[in-house]
Amino acid sequence: MGSIKRGVRNTFRNTIRTVAVVTILAVAIALSISMLIARGAVSAKIASVRDSTGTTITVSPKGFFGFQGGGSPLSASTVTSLLSLPHVAALQETLNQELSSANTSLIAATPTGQLGQQFGGGAFTRPIRVVGTNSPGTALVGGAFGGGTEKIVTGTSFSSTSDADVAILGTNLASANQLVVGSTFTAWSTNVTVIGIYSAGSTFADNNVVMPLTTVQRLSNQAGEITGATVTVDTLSHVAATTTLISQKLGSAADVTSTAQATQSSLAPLDSVQTISTYTLVGAVVGAGIILLLSMLMIVRERRREIGVLKAIGASTGSIIRQFIAESTTFTVLGSVVGVGVGVLLSSPIASALVSASGGSSPGGGFVRRGGGFPGGFAGGGNGFTPPGGVPTGPFRFGGFGRTLTQLHTSVGWGTLSAAFAIAILVAVVGASVAVASVVRVRPAEVLRSE
Amino acid sequence: MLTVTSLNKTFRTPAGDVAAVSDVSFSTKPGEMIAIVGASGSGKSTLLSLLGLLETPDKGSIKVDDVELAGLDAKGRTAYRARKVGFVFQQFNLIPNLSALENVMLPLEFARWSVSDREIRAREVLNTVGLGDDKVLRRPARLSGGEQQRVAIARALVTDPELILADEPTGNLDRKTGERIIALLREAAGQEKRTVVVVTHDEKIAKAADRRLEIEDGVLREIA
Repeated sequence: MGSIKRGVRNTFRNTIRTVAVVTILAVAIALSISMLIARGAVSAKIASVRDSTGTTITVSPKGFFGFQGGGSPLSASTVTSLLSLPHVAALQETLNQELSSANTSLIAATPTGQLGQQFGGGAFTRPIRVVGTNSPGTALVGGAFGGGTEKIVTGTSFSSTSDADVAILGTNLASANQLVVGSTFTAWSTNVTVIGIYSAGSTFADNNVVMPLTTVQRLSNQAGEITGATVTVDTLSHVAATTTLISQKLGSAADVTSTAQATQSSLAPLDSVQTISTYTLVGAVVGAGIILLLSMLMIVRERRREIGVLKAIGASTGSIIRQFIAESTTFTVLGSVVGVGVGVLLSSPIASALVSASGGSSPGGGFVRRGGGFPGGFAGGGNGFTPPGGVPTGPFRFGGFGRTLTQLHTSVGWGTLSAAFAIAILVAVVGASVAVASVVRVRPAEVLRSE
Repeated sequence: MLTVTSLNKTFRTPAGDVAAVSDVSFSTKPGEMIAIVGASGSGKSTLLSLLGLLETPDKGSIKVDDVELAGLDAKGRTAYRARKVGFVFQQFNLIPNLSALENVMLPLEFARWSVSDREIRAREVLNTVGLGDDKVLRRPARLSGGEQQRVAIARALVTDPELILADEPTGNLDRKTGERIIALLREAAGQEKRTVVVVTHDEKIAKAADRRLEIEDGVLREIA
């Protein structure tokens, strides 16, 4: 029987102590594994959110809150001049309007519903929303209404400089009004031709009209005015500086926000969870090390005489150290087997609890204003919507973004488990070595005489 | 053959230096059993520890077959204890969670015997000391005191050492069992031409030895 086998057998010499040490180690290892997994999940979430943040900056009139009003329209020419700023790659301008039943022949595709009636003050008829844009097809409505980038399913789009009386309708709106490509409807007493039907993937997103910016400015008598713009910056690293430049250029006339800033602020709770999980992980590993060290110190001191006997009958210091390392490692392996199982099971609820406790669940449902856009909640209707799965890049977005931050995907890779196991074994070896070093140098005669 | 010359060992204590072994010299012949007698604290256990290289002497020489041992380093002392010397303790000092057989196999592991030979040799020696096959797989707690000391003697003999050092080997045994153990040690000395050094304060056991040495305040003298 070698020193390793002897050490493994010694692990089970005292059943009560074995159970106690393994249980305490398992708890510490479970906590370590949970934290390792939670930290990995949070890091992955932060990385994926940051990756999808994009490089856009939103400009809206100061104090403007979408269709709730507030603020004064921005001058299109002033905003267009932003293109001359360094690192500005593109500029998308919008003029958002609502068409009431008095100035359009269109009817809304979605029912007003009980909530819509309440919010509208009784006899409420949902207005038709019109987005005038010089950049069609870039998630103008999709992002705002819980869908994605609008895709033309029939017909065609218009050019960025078009001023024709044409429109692209959402599939739901077109269907509700029995309109197809080539059909016409009236807006501001003007016949507008449907040139395309788009789909953006949600009921509300597909209930809008997208028209050329110049056309909407002309028909609504707002020539040279816009209600919002999205500036695209060349790289993520230039977003903050460009945001500052735009704010300085537009002064008090506009609110300038970037998705990067908003994302950073939304990610703050996750950052704190990452920090907490890191500290807890370190604490759990140190705790496990201390538990093991103290246990091994206790065991080694208890066996001083035995060490003396082993040395007297020819055991080398190395073989005694190996024996105690094997014993300590066996404790750790047993604790790891239990701890990893429990840790994997608990990692998801622990990660969720940490995120919730850190305030990562806010904001809740409904729209979140992101620059000039539609305010939330008042669309009414009986049906809800599915929050977007990622971070919208358009000027509007849903508060579901905040909710997705809590939806952490915890997974355990072999890499994580191997790293955890390697750390546990390292702790076991160090713990046992330190403990046994305290007595292994003892002179056997001294131990045997003292008995 | 064991030759000890001018061996000295002093312990430093808060009360001052204590000379545990003072200028001790003696030699033994192969197959000889010698008894070292003396009162508690006279230095007999220290002398035994020095002979077994469990302690390092301050001064003097210990030679086994003309090989000087006193100046060996830690590795050399470990190798000496593993191959050249066997210990028998008063408290038996068996490893409690190992069977009698495994306890006896331990020194063979330290002396680097092959795994396949260890069990054969251990069973052979256990048989020699009179521990039946039905008991070799028992743990020490399930053996009587006499049986435990037989296992301890088997453990001391198993590597076929040149020197057996026994510290009060019968101290924890009744008279009859003690006599059997002494007979075993005598047999170990006589048949295999080993040197057996027994430390005891029991005159009866000392008389069974070939020679008797008395130690008092660290000073050794031969008793006729």
